[in-house]
Amino acid sequence: MIPFLLRRLVQSIPTLLLASILIFFVIQLAPGDFLTPAKLNPNISEEQIAALQRNFGLDRPAWQQYLFWMGNMFQGDFGLSFQYQQPVLDIIWPRILNSLYLALMSLILYYSISIPLGVYGAVRQNSPGDNAVNVVLYFLLGFPSFFLALIVIYFILQIRNATGLDIPIGGMTSNNFEELSPFGQMLDILKHLIIPALVLAISDAAGLTRVIRGQMLEVMRSDYVRTARAKGVSERTAIWKHTFRNAILPIVAGIGGLLPALISGVGFLEVVFAYPGITPMLLTAIGTQDLYLIAGFTVITTVLLIIGNVISDILLAVVDPRVKVS
Amino acid sequence: MKKALFIALALTATSASAAPFVYPAAWTAEQNTANKRGGELRLSVLSDFKTINPFTSAEADSIPGTMVENGEFGSASLFLQDPRNDEFLPYMADAKPVVSNNGKRFVVKIRPGMKFSDGQAITADDWITTWKIHTDDKVGSNSFDNFFLNKKPITIKKIDNLTLQFDFPQVSSTAYGRMSFAPWPDHVFGKAYREGGADAIKKLWTLGTPASQIVSPGMWVLESYRAGERSVFTKNPYWGEWNKDSRGNALPYLDKLSYRVTNDANATLAAFLAGQIDQAPMRNADDLAQTKRAIDGGTLKATLLPNVSPQAQSSWITFNWNKSAEPAQQKLFRDVRFRRAMSHIANRKAMVDLALGGLGVETYSSVYPVFRQQIAAGTAAGAPRYPYNLAEASKLLAQIGYTKKNAQGYLVDKAGKVLEFNLSTNAGNTVREQLGRIFADEAKKVGVKVNFTPIDFNNLVNQLTSKGENRPFDAILLGLSGGGNVWSFGTNVTPCGGNLHSYNNPTNGACLTPQESLMTKLYYQGDAELDDAKRRAIGGQLMKVEGELQPVIYLVGGNYHVAYNERLGGEFARNMMDAFYGSRMWALSFIK
Repeated sequence: MIPFLLRRLVQSIPTLLLASILIFFVIQLAPGDFLTPAKLNPNISEEQIAALQRNFGLDRPAWQQYLFWMGNMFQGDFGLSFQYQQPVLDIIWPRILNSLYLALMSLILYYSISIPLGVYGAVRQNSPGDNAVNVVLYFLLGFPSFFLALIVIYFILQIRNATGLDIPIGGMTSNNFEELSPFGQMLDILKHLIIPALVLAISDAAGLTRVIRGQMLEVMRSDYVRTARAKGVSERTAIWKHTFRNAILPIVAGIGGLLPALISGVGFLEVVFAYPGITPMLLTAIGTQDLYLIAGFTVITTVLLIIGNVISDILLAVVDPRVKVS
Repeated sequence: MKKALFIALALTATSASAAPFVYPAAWTAEQNTANKRGGELRLSVLSDFKTINPFTSAEADSIPGTMVENGEFGSASLFLQDPRNDEFLPYMADAKPVVSNNGKRFVVKIRPGMKFSDGQAITADDWITTWKIHTDDKVGSNSFDNFFLNKKPITIKKIDNLTLQFDFPQVSSTAYGRMSFAPWPDHVFGKAYREGGADAIKKLWTLGTPASQIVSPGMWVLESYRAGERSVFTKNPYWGEWNKDSRGNALPYLDKLSYRVTNDANATLAAFLAGQIDQAPMRNADDLAQTKRAIDGGTLKATLLPNVSPQAQSSWITFNWNKSAEPAQQKLFRDVRFRRAMSHIANRKAMVDLALGGLGVETYSSVYPVFRQQIAAGTAAGAPRYPYNLAEASKLLAQIGYTKKNAQGYLVDKAGKVLEFNLSTNAGNTVREQLGRIFADEAKKVGVKVNFTPIDFNNLVNQLTSKGENRPFDAILLGLSGGGNVWSFGTNVTPCGGNLHSYNNPTNGACLTPQESLMTKLYYQGDAELDDAKRRAIGGQLMKVEGELQPVIYLVGGNYHVAYNERLGGEFARNMMDAFYGSRMWALSFIK
């Protein structure tokens, strides 16, 4: 185990270095910089723009900026955001936490919807129930999640107007959040999370359901399952222990990829639901060319991707006795 | 006993000396005669607040800005402009300043009895510290420029605890505006600055700072901040001691002010239509129509006032005079007849109707149309206009030598070269894209080929602000906003050499035409004129020269609309509202 981890660590260094170079210089490729819009302000003098450029280090060539940034990063300093004038980590950390809540919630819903449906589809293959589930899921798969979210918001608004029920349609907390008890605050956040999480889980569920269904069907037809059945194990054990455990191996292998996905938020859904996650902040950062905020965040996701892959490998070894990490 | 005596003394001392600022009754059309108090004003902001630190903040809407503001104009500062006549009133100052040294020295008495939200008195030290930190270029404050005139510093001296002396390097019409900055607490920032310099200032009041440590000189103080969601402000309990309505009641009437982060202008409108926020900007005809429908349908109780005034912004086409690589084109762009012809081609009425949905005004000057007094002075001075007139345009172009048309219907010179140029604007701005399209279509009618291409915004700005003998563009369609109503000409727009002197910007920044030299002279002359009427007259002269030279073709400006929820009272009278002053002061607003 230890040699395996060490080897992965050494392997990750060139990966990270290359990734950081790419990230930094791709952002630099865009024309202009953070201060370009200020040049169009009739009241900001050239002297002040020059002073700001000096303060931000934007007057130096890109490779110097890069080396400076890398040097600081080795000391755990990801640089200063131009917009916020604060360390990058301080800004993105609360946002990552918010996104994490939403992503975790939707992940739980995602698995608890797709796994039963996938298994059901395989066990009752081509039954009316299976077909109905397929039709609905395929239909939902066709919508981009943010569009589905807009439709959901529309219907919730109609329900709100008709019944006067206070169903939250945006944000993460209610207006009176500060006055609530800790338990009330938790409940309040849950209330705001459930709808976006559900929309995301449902719109993504079709893919995983199909994978599980296909894998289950394949494994169910294999010799060892037939042997197990012939030995007289119960139907439940045959499905869950012998079939399901083998069917989810490809999914476990993909879990590592979820780690960066967890913190990089749920994309446009956060924008549509005005959720204070990482995406709206990142979009603003890209729009204003807040170099270190974008680069810092991307580096963190890259690191997490590497860690996630390691975790996947370890998990796979746990689930599949044939695989050994070393 | 000693203590009780001291308190009694202190009480009499404050009540005797603290003359409050009384808001004129005319500042609101709806008096709060029932003395309604409490409640929360709910507003929205497009993107998250970035910092609480007043010295590093660079946003239009910011937390420190909100704490000291009083509506869309006016904030905690020495002087406050009266929205009725643009005059400066003493606000945190006790009286008008004593002016000496030929209008360069201002001695200002500070209003006694003012306190920060933590109860500490506001004194001269707070202004001095604030000025020192703003002018430290290592801090990178956005107000840095405010304390310099022509690169020479304005100095501020403390005479005593309640007296300040401002020394300007030259006479300036913007003196009152420049003296009007919010004082931040010396007991917070001064201490840090003396011990740790600029770096210590940058570390203060970040988004991670607990709201309880934030101190405000203004009406509001931060109560809570939730990243990406909402910021709530509560009233400064001491503010009402020196801010009274016309009947002597303490202000503000409201308890709280909250900003919700919407991330998107459509989401802002949706929140307004759902009654979740009290006010929303109306961007265009579509926003107005949706609001009107909601009001007519009975789902929203709100007041909608379309076309209150023009916006404080401009849109224009500028032609590049510095094209040494293409002498023919350079000669063309430098020809005043060509530029007048281009102004005749601009079908401003069609632009207002098609691009702005009929909600806008035609413009013919660099002065934003909302600054009516300056516009009137320009008209009085006889500033010429070259309105839409294709026949006139053809005539002018014929004078330059374009009399023949080729097979495609485009004008050609003697050598058979087509009269054409490239026009760019920033991609994604639909209004500007439509303006350019209309201009190109009209140009085609007289035989001018305009190759109109929207390009990336940052590229465009770099082209526009580039210096040199051969700058990389033909013509650019863009707009400006920002600037005040005291001297409504941009310091880096009008004088030669400024980076927004977009039509002529050679390496040495010299003027090319006598008109430019005259405009530069008039700019500095008007800037140094303290008398409002005289200054506006000089501005009128400037507008006349500018109109004749037509260095930049001004097109149209959008209109400002007002919409607010019916639960809100205390707005301005309709004729006081405009894009510069907004529609209300927070201090006089109340929840019905």
